[in-house]
Amino acid sequence: MTELHLTNVSFSYPDGTKALENLTLSVTSGERVAIVGQNGAGKTTAVKLMNGLLKPTEGSVLVGDWDTKNHTTAQVSRKVGYVFQNPDDQIFHNDVESEVRFGPKNMGFEPERVNELTDWAMKLCGISEFAEENPYNLPYSVRKFVTIASVLAMDSDIIILDEPTAGQDKIGLQVLGNLLQVLEEKQKSVITITHDMEFVTDYFTRIIVMANRQLVADDNAQKVFYNTEVLEKSMLKPPAVAQMAKLLDFSPGILSKQQLIEAILAQHSL
Amino acid sequence: MKQNILLQLHPMTKFFFTLFIFAVVLISPGYIFSFAIFPILILIAMLAGVAKEFLNIVIKALVTVLIFIFIMQMFFYPGENVLWEWGIFEIKQEGIKYGLLLTSRILAIGSAFILFFRMTEVRDFVKSLEDIGLPPMGAYVVLSTLQIIPEMRRQANTIMEAQKTRGVETEGSIFVRAKAFIPTLTPLILSSIAGTEERAITLESRAFSAPVKKTSLHQLSKSNMDRALPIVFALVVIGLIVWRFFL
Amino acid sequence: MTAMIDLKNVSYRYPVSDDSVLKNISFSIEKGKFTAIIGNNGSGKTTLCNTIRGFVPHFYKGELDGEVIIDQTKITDYQLGQLGEKVGYVFQNPFIQVSGVKDNVFEEVAYGLENLGIPVEEIKVRVEEVLKLVKIEYLRDKNPFELSGGQRQRVALASIIVMDPEILVIDEPTSQLDPIGTQQIFEIIRLMKERGKTIVLVEHKMDLIAEYADDLLVMHKGELVMQGPVREVFADPEFEKYQIQYPHVTEIALQLQQSGIPLTFLPIRDEELADALNRTEVAAHD
Repeated sequence: MTELHLTNVSFSYPDGTKALENLTLSVTSGERVAIVGQNGAGKTTAVKLMNGLLKPTEGSVLVGDWDTKNHTTAQVSRKVGYVFQNPDDQIFHNDVESEVRFGPKNMGFEPERVNELTDWAMKLCGISEFAEENPYNLPYSVRKFVTIASVLAMDSDIIILDEPTAGQDKIGLQVLGNLLQVLEEKQKSVITITHDMEFVTDYFTRIIVMANRQLVADDNAQKVFYNTEVLEKSMLKPPAVAQMAKLLDFSPGILSKQQLIEAILAQHSL
Repeated sequence: MKQNILLQLHPMTKFFFTLFIFAVVLISPGYIFSFAIFPILILIAMLAGVAKEFLNIVIKALVTVLIFIFIMQMFFYPGENVLWEWGIFEIKQEGIKYGLLLTSRILAIGSAFILFFRMTEVRDFVKSLEDIGLPPMGAYVVLSTLQIIPEMRRQANTIMEAQKTRGVETEGSIFVRAKAFIPTLTPLILSSIAGTEERAITLESRAFSAPVKKTSLHQLSKSNMDRALPIVFALVVIGLIVWRFFL
Repeated sequence: MTAMIDLKNVSYRYPVSDDSVLKNISFSIEKGKFTAIIGNNGSGKTTLCNTIRGFVPHFYKGELDGEVIIDQTKITDYQLGQLGEKVGYVFQNPFIQVSGVKDNVFEEVAYGLENLGIPVEEIKVRVEEVLKLVKIEYLRDKNPFELSGGQRQRVALASIIVMDPEILVIDEPTSQLDPIGTQQIFEIIRLMKERGKTIVLVEHKMDLIAEYADDLLVMHKGELVMQGPVREVFADPEFEKYQIQYPHVTEIALQLQQSGIPLTFLPIRDEELADALNRTEVAAHD
């Protein structure tokens, strides 16, 4: 299993624009991490550094025992899978199944394993029924699942999802939730960029908050969403449940719907 | 860049100049005159501050073509005065003469057009065509094609990135890079086809086909020079024709 | 009250498809109302937007039955170009929504006004105003192709509202935006409503719909299955069976009800929960 270590990582574009400053964090295997923050806070830069698409201008990124500086992105992709924000930037086949199959096949896996992984990933993402379809004829939200499946099929230890909830309906959110569960059982690490705070509180305990190209907090959800300083600095809106709990004068720490319901029920039975 | 008097000329004036060169070269006899045009164009390019880019493109785009044409003419133009001979290859005086005439004209006309596009922004040129009646659809096609090329390059880069993350080696020898390039073509073409329909909707959403006369933030103005120069050009051309064919 | 948008028994089938994407849809939207269309993906929301905007049948061919009436005139009696002035449409994919002929955001936003033949001086004033409104002044000199998804979404919205159409049809305008950016977009939409615009919005973010919208249209497999004021639709027990997200507070309230807690009414906004639990005194000293 693969661990990920970023140590004092900074990144600037060749023209000198700074995109990330002094980021240090580690993700152990099987861990699930959410990265949140405003548009332009540096989230996408951070994850692009994790899979070697960008190489740090300062500091080091270690994937397992590999320094990403010494490996091509293609090599790093065996260990870190990355789902792009915009599915149209990623899809390059005429039908869904070939798209999903491409990664594992390209890795040189045994044909049997390629088949297994392809089927598994398509089923997990709820797109088996679209196997023959041209991805460009599918709605945006389904195309997103095509890209997720095509990365999952590569069976990497670390998986990065960039905005998986954008444009998803309730059913899509349930598919995502289930998928996170399955990946955890397989001891895979999942790093997700998202704006959806309810999705975060439902499925993530560890939260990384970024603002102005820097890390603002790396802590568990309760601490982050009840830390006024962090919320102000990152301009985050706490999830609806936290706001309701506050309005009802409950003590800090309530985040999930279940917790809130239990708290109300407990009070009511007094 | 816009401070320069030559650059500030109206696109039509510059275009008329290009046509002027075209006419002059065709009317005037012999190659010496046509070759003499080229240094004049270089001088204009220097005055306009675009000499470096101008020469660069001339060398890249024209020189090989010119050499090729010259050699072809030298060997294969029919003539009697053979200067040198090797097997079936004969260099004839007529060939050299015609080769020089042809290349001198191509050089003058070709570089005049290159200079025109160095000194004129295409959007200005299209705007000036629109002012004299090019339909908006035509203008749109030209301008969007110009934008599409850098956009396609960006898109190709993004797709390459996507492929790297799927284990495709894109760094290394030419062979490796060429192999990686092929799979980028499909999505590039596919997404641009998928995009045309939505692009048409975008244009409609911006009232592209509204039944009114469009206005434009981008305005071109004509100076006295812009009014005078085309007349000068025309007079010179007429003079040349009279001198050449009637005297 | 005059109906701004009026659909009567509208069905639509795409050219090569056997199945209708819209099935016998009838509704009417009054001038100045903010109506949200909700429903799971594939339920026909976007096609419905295309129909209101007249891209069905003017642009997408196929079979359209029934009547679509925009501001007292049948959509088939409009020329496509005329509708552009009347109905502004911001569609889903922000990556494709650029004119492709403009070098900077200022000109990009001005493009629609140029096409409408607005005098240049007025264009400049109106573009300035909209850039400020949508908070993208800092992008004015940027190339539209080099923007992020969220920035493009704002530019797309600005490019339409600058044209000042009477009706705004907006399809998922916040999918690429962070929560603060999303809130800002909803504030802009509210402002448009205050200016008397009729607004049709497709969105998945129910908390914001509950806060801002007047009415709901619920789509399910091509049918319009429910319609009415936001509060009534969410309170209707039928809503649950369509598997659509509730506002978070409503979901919690429903579970509390099931656990036997009495509620005075079904809350749809966070701040209503205390009221519904009859605990106003608790919330009051906050």
